[in-house]
Order: sequence, then C-alpha cells, then structure tokens
Amino acid sequence: MTKLTLCACAAAACVAIGLSPIGPAQAGTLENLERERAIFIDTLLDPDVTPMERIEKVRISKRRLVDLERMVLRDKSLTGRNTPTVRRAFENYDLTFLVNASTERNVSAIDAWLAEIGITTQSLMSAKIGRR
Amino acid sequence: MLAVPANASAKSSAADPSWRPEVSERLVKLPAAYLKKSLDRDFAQSELGVAIEDLGDEIGFKSQTLSDLQGAIGKSDGEVRIELRHQFLAEKRAYLELVSNKHALRRKHVVAKKRVLEALIQRLVQDELAMTPARQKLIETQVNASQRFEATMSAVDVKLLATSAAPNSRYSREYGKNLTAMETLIRAIDDHPMNAQPVIEGQVVTKGDYVRQLIADTDAEIALIQQGEMILGYMAKLIALDATKLSEQVADAERIDSDVTDRTSLTSAVDIFIAK
Repeated sequence: MTKLTLCACAAAACVAIGLSPIGPAQAGTLENLERERAIFIDTLLDPDVTPMERIEKVRISKRRLVDLERMVLRDKSLTGRNTPTVRRAFENYDLTFLVNASTERNVSAIDAWLAEIGITTQSLMSAKIGRR
Repeated sequence: MLAVPANASAKSSAADPSWRPEVSERLVKLPAAYLKKSLDRDFAQSELGVAIEDLGDEIGFKSQTLSDLQGAIGKSDGEVRIELRHQFLAEKRAYLELVSNKHALRRKHVVAKKRVLEALIQRLVQDELAMTPARQKLIETQVNASQRFEATMSAVDVKLLATSAAPNSRYSREYGKNLTAMETLIRAIDDHPMNAQPVIEGQVVTKGDYVRQLIADTDAEIALIQQGEMILGYMAKLIALDATKLSEQVADAERIDSDVTDRTSLTSAVDIFIAK
C-alpha cells in the first residue's frame, strides 16, 4: 500500500471517528429520562384514567424508564458535567433512577417516589382535612 | 494527514523560512508517545525543515570542497600553493556562513518547538485545573451511582423479568452485544503500539511529564546551539588569524623578491660622498 493510500485511509478513519457516537455521547439522555419520569408520575397520579388504563400506561412507561435510566448511568458525556440539572440528578439517585431504585428496594415505584418526596402512609393518616 | 497536529503557516518566504505549529485539539488528544513524532513530521514538511535539510546538504558539499582543497595545498608549492591557501580561507569563511545560517534556523526550530510544547502543557494544566472541588464531588457521586447500579443490575433485572416490565427491550439486547464488541476494540486499542504510554529512562510517565521532558530537551538543544555558536566564533577568529598570516607571508615574499636596495640608511650613501 502506498504512502498516499495510507494517508487516505488514516483521513477516512478520522472522518469516521468524527461521525461515530464514540465522540460526544448522545445529548439529552438526562432530559429524556426526566420527561419520561414526569409522564410516568403524572400517569400514576392522574385521577381521570381507569385502573386498567393506568396499569397499561405504567407498564409501557416503566419499560421505557428502565432503558432511559441505564442510558443516563452509562452516558459518559454526563461525567463531570457540572450543571445544576446533572448535580441534582445524581445527588438524588432514588428519585432520578426511580424504577431501578424502587425495584432494588422491593417497593413499588409510586411508593418509592412518595417516600422520597416525604409523603408516607403515616403522614397521610395523620393529615387533617381543613380549609386553606 | 492523521499525524500532523498543526499546520505550518505558508506566509513566510523562502528567504525567511518559518514553522508555526499551533496547539490544536488533536495535538492535545494525541497519544503522548506519538506527540514527538508528529511534531517532527510536521516540522520536516515545513519551509523551515526543508531549508535546514538543504543547508545540511550544502554544508556537506562545502566540507568536501574544503577537504579537497586541503589535500591540494599539501601537494602544491609556490604561487599555486598561495593561491590555493587563499581559496581555502575563502571557502572556510563560506563554510562558517553556512553553518551559522543553519544554527540560526535550528534555533528558530527549537524556539518554535518549545513555544508549542509550553502552550500544550498550559492546555494540559488547564484541564487539570478545571477539576474544581464541586466537579470532583459530582464525579464521585456519579461513580457511586454507577457502582450502585452495576452492583444491583442483575438483581433488578431478575425482579423486572418477574414483574413483566422486563428489560428485554431492543436497547438491552443490543447493548450487551455492543458492549462485548466495544470491550474487544478497547483491548485492541490498549494493546496498540501507537497507544503505548510514554517511557522516560524505562519508566512509564504521564503525558504532562513527557511534555515537560520534551521542553527540557529543547532547552538543552538551545544551550548546545549557543555552544556551537561560540565554536563558530573561535573558528572565525582562526580564519582571521590565518588570513593575516598569509598576507604577511605574501608581503614578505614580495619584499625578498624585490630588486630595489634599501637606500634609506646613511651608511649606504657614504660611497656617494667619497671621491674616487
């Protein structure tokens, strides 16, 4: 192989590296996760859906969340990205990676979420109905 | 070209050849072991590199001429010998000019190289300084999160399978396959000779240490060039002395060959005043 051909190969390899996902990882994995989690929680709390609809929606959303949580944890572009969003996300592992954390702790996602934001059965039971 | 980290400027003319490498992002990311080769190759292709190469050839030819002349002087005599010695001195002076020019260009090269290495080390230090305590803390948190995730992933997968929200998505399936391929590639990259860690005196060193060593090498080269310039100065002094000596010898020879007697002394004029 001539020197020129070698140079051309090297240049082509450089272009390929530039275009491949090895470079900066796909942007927005954390944003996608947060959007999906918001939809998931909204579904859990939505009073307008029937129990069957809720189960089906949660099943689909949970499957997506499992993948998205793993994508975020494996996203190298987030490593050391010192923004408030990234900081908050990793400081609150149990809230950000809700499905993973709740399954790990053997509790349902809604229970894990409510516990993380400070609403427990005890606090609900001791709550009083009153005029605001 | 893959190896060339910076482009030499084409602004300079042939009379003032230059090499102006710049610290590109690619140079910063280049494996340390490849850094020096890459800089050397970039320089060799620059106007300055070509000019030094050409001067080296010229000096080689000039040395040969000097050797030939020296040999010829040994075999000659009379006026031819003086003429050859004169030519020898002129060629020696021309040789010194060439070597002096080469030293000036070499100095230019080393100074440019040192400048780019110092800029490079500055960039590397900036990257280190960018590691603020807050960022350090975030990275630690992320590492902990990742470790927690890896430690519980299998158990979580089993539980999710049991609850039908199985992680058996396309992403999960493909991720495993891709991970295996990536690990193979990463191993190949780690074992690749061009990715070898730099070594100084048998010790594997960091990129920063390696660049600092290169800077020290350029300092040493500058000092040696300065010493070379002093040697050139002494050579020039010797040529001047040789020229003076030759000039004296030629003048003496002319005086000896001359028919004119010395009539300036009074004793030589005594005969004129004596009546015969």
